[in-house]
Amino acid sequence: MKRRFATAAAAAVALLLGACSDEGHDGGVASGSTLHAHTQATSLGKPDRPIAGPQGTQAQFLVECLYSHAAMDDPIVFPGQPGQSHLHVFFGNTDVDAFTTTADLVGGETTCDQRQDTAAYWAPALMRNGMNLTPIKSTAYYRPGLDVDPTTVQPYPVGLVMVAGDAGAVAEQPVEIVAWTCGAGIERAVTPPTCSEDRALRLLVTFPDCWDGVNLDSPDHHAHVAYSSGGLCPEGYPVPVPQLQFGVEYPVHGDPTGLVLASGGLLTGHADFMNGWDQAKLESEIALCLHRDLVCGITSGRKTG
Amino acid sequence: MRNRFIAAAVAVGLVLAACGDGDSASEPTDNPIAFDASVPDTVGDTAPPVTETMPAPDTTAASSAEGVLHVPEDFDTIQAAVDAAAPGALILVGPGTYNEAVNVTTDNLTIRGLDRNEVVLDGEFELDNGVRVLGAKGVAVENMTAMNYTSNGFFWTGTVGYRGSYLTAYRTGDYGVYAFDAVNGQLDHIYAAGSPDAGVYIGNCYPCNTVMTDVVSEHNGLGYSGTNSGGELYIVNSTFRFNRAGVVPNSGSYELCYPERDTTIVGNLVYSNNQGDTPAIDVALLAMGNGIVVAGGIRNTVERNQIWDHDKAGIALVPFLEEDPNDELPTVEEWEMTCEEAKQVRPVDPGEAILWDAYENRVIGNEISDSRQFDIILASLNPDLSALGNCFAGNVFGSAGQTAPTALETLAPCDATGSGDWNAGVYNIAAWLGEEHPPSVDWKTASLPELEPQENMPDAANAPANPATNVPAPIDIAAITTPAKP
Repeated sequence: MKRRFATAAAAAVALLLGACSDEGHDGGVASGSTLHAHTQATSLGKPDRPIAGPQGTQAQFLVECLYSHAAMDDPIVFPGQPGQSHLHVFFGNTDVDAFTTTADLVGGETTCDQRQDTAAYWAPALMRNGMNLTPIKSTAYYRPGLDVDPTTVQPYPVGLVMVAGDAGAVAEQPVEIVAWTCGAGIERAVTPPTCSEDRALRLLVTFPDCWDGVNLDSPDHHAHVAYSSGGLCPEGYPVPVPQLQFGVEYPVHGDPTGLVLASGGLLTGHADFMNGWDQAKLESEIALCLHRDLVCGITSGRKTG
Repeated sequence: MRNRFIAAAVAVGLVLAACGDGDSASEPTDNPIAFDASVPDTVGDTAPPVTETMPAPDTTAASSAEGVLHVPEDFDTIQAAVDAAAPGALILVGPGTYNEAVNVTTDNLTIRGLDRNEVVLDGEFELDNGVRVLGAKGVAVENMTAMNYTSNGFFWTGTVGYRGSYLTAYRTGDYGVYAFDAVNGQLDHIYAAGSPDAGVYIGNCYPCNTVMTDVVSEHNGLGYSGTNSGGELYIVNSTFRFNRAGVVPNSGSYELCYPERDTTIVGNLVYSNNQGDTPAIDVALLAMGNGIVVAGGIRNTVERNQIWDHDKAGIALVPFLEEDPNDELPTVEEWEMTCEEAKQVRPVDPGEAILWDAYENRVIGNEISDSRQFDIILASLNPDLSALGNCFAGNVFGSAGQTAPTALETLAPCDATGSGDWNAGVYNIAAWLGEEHPPSVDWKTASLPELEPQENMPDAANAPANPATNVPAPIDIAAITTPAKP
């Protein structure tokens, strides 16, 4: 028996009804494994809605990582081409540059509290007056996708890389994928809100939670993964993987005027992930926490100093 | 009234059924990776957990026929013994240093060190939890030390029935002993030092049905913290000293099961919680210099505690302003909602900060002295303090500034009608928020007292397996007297 949180139930009813037919689950989801052509890379589908609200309703494990470094490197989008990217801020593995491969990551140093998370996480730098606003920390939430049977969630394969959000977006992105929040608050905005002194501005990016089962990457770095809808992975993406929600906290309070992402404007929020976890530890956390439907850690948005 | 979705959940089930065999939602996806997909054992389930290799647990008793597993004689590691153990087994761990993070998913195990001070689990600042019990019922962990873990020394999550006895937690990245979403518990004879959050924490449970006794918690951000916990929850006969703040039950919608309520805090020594050189989360900074702080907690009993030497207050009933809440404040009717019920309620974004006030707490018969500000503070941002329904009686005040507001026991006696001027001596709680405190220090390098030998459990080598199937042990709260200063 699947465990479904009743908070999700109303939406799930409608979506499951849809899932009984042969049609797509959701207007934004392609029914086959081929992508629609896009001038800019975008993710396949989007979550039905953000996973938000009090922690404790949903199985999770999480990793908090301090800021590591900034570089105009992107080993997924511009591999082997140092300085070709807009400025990124890196978290987790400390030795990431344009030449990094997933094989380089395992066993490396990490800025994360979970020492066996040697994965690489990065996001565009947030700038003001040309200055990189050095982030405070990142938080990576690993959960089953919304309404996905937690016992079906598989670990990311060794070597998986992916990008979430659209670095070239010229219009608003869905807040289910890219959102700005104040601290851990549930209000999601398409551009930075005004945050009080007690809460830092946060960019929250939600990664796809379904994998095609074959490709560790794809030409646009999106097409091998997709979002579940109604608790189900779309056709062509049969493998549920954890839904990674990646939040970056910036030391920004008050008026957001003058802020700009290094990728351009404020609508280009995105984040990148290279699976460099100690694979056995990743599998263990998924089995122990997600399969058993348990909360293995929480963050309250509280600072530790 | 909030929306309830129970009916909708039923509808989901019907829809699933209507989809028939073609609905892949009811079947695990074909897995390209070999992987153990064990059935989740949710709290409140009466069915035993199912695993591939373990027999169904016998919940009736742990009989002597069940095995004893020895570490390191039979198994090199504690984890290997745990993995091999059948429900009800006793795992005896000999002296030594174990660089392990032990995960427990088998019901009714007793995991016991033969010597509390010489069986040392050491995370070496690399491993996350010393012992982590994940949904397994009835697991008891006894007579050992965990230190240098990046998360917690000992951690129970999602369990029904748990016990930690004669445990030492020293220098940990989050909590010393941590019980989350766990009920029917007992934590006794604990020593916890060196956590930025709480030395001992019991949260996200209602009713918790848990007893915490004979604990010494010192040099932590908080001695005790319990977020959104309560209901047959007893914090008794323990010592909280040299923390930033001593005992801090608290409410907030960033975790489930709010508000904090119905915690009974009786017979404790609470002193000198002004310690500025500890690691500290921001709540610990905010609460610094206080003995017992009820932060937005409801219907707690604080009685017969010996409390002294605090820069601010011996006992403070204060509000918690939650800037980015995940839900609206619960209504009075919802104060008695169980955690299981709370999981069925859809949060409603209030769109603005919410104020958790301390309501209907009873503060009785405490001895409080050497408080630099007041022995008891009752404060709110709400101008009408009398409306909060807290009461105060029989406390012994030893400080010049007895209470704020003035003469609290006359204003709000317990089981009698109050009188007086609520506006006399009102405490300016807003000033707390702007105060400067010594910053947190790194938990890995914080100054801590040398770890002294701690009391061993009786007859560790020969005592039978004792799974947490019938906990907590009954406790006679009325028999507890105010402890004398040491």
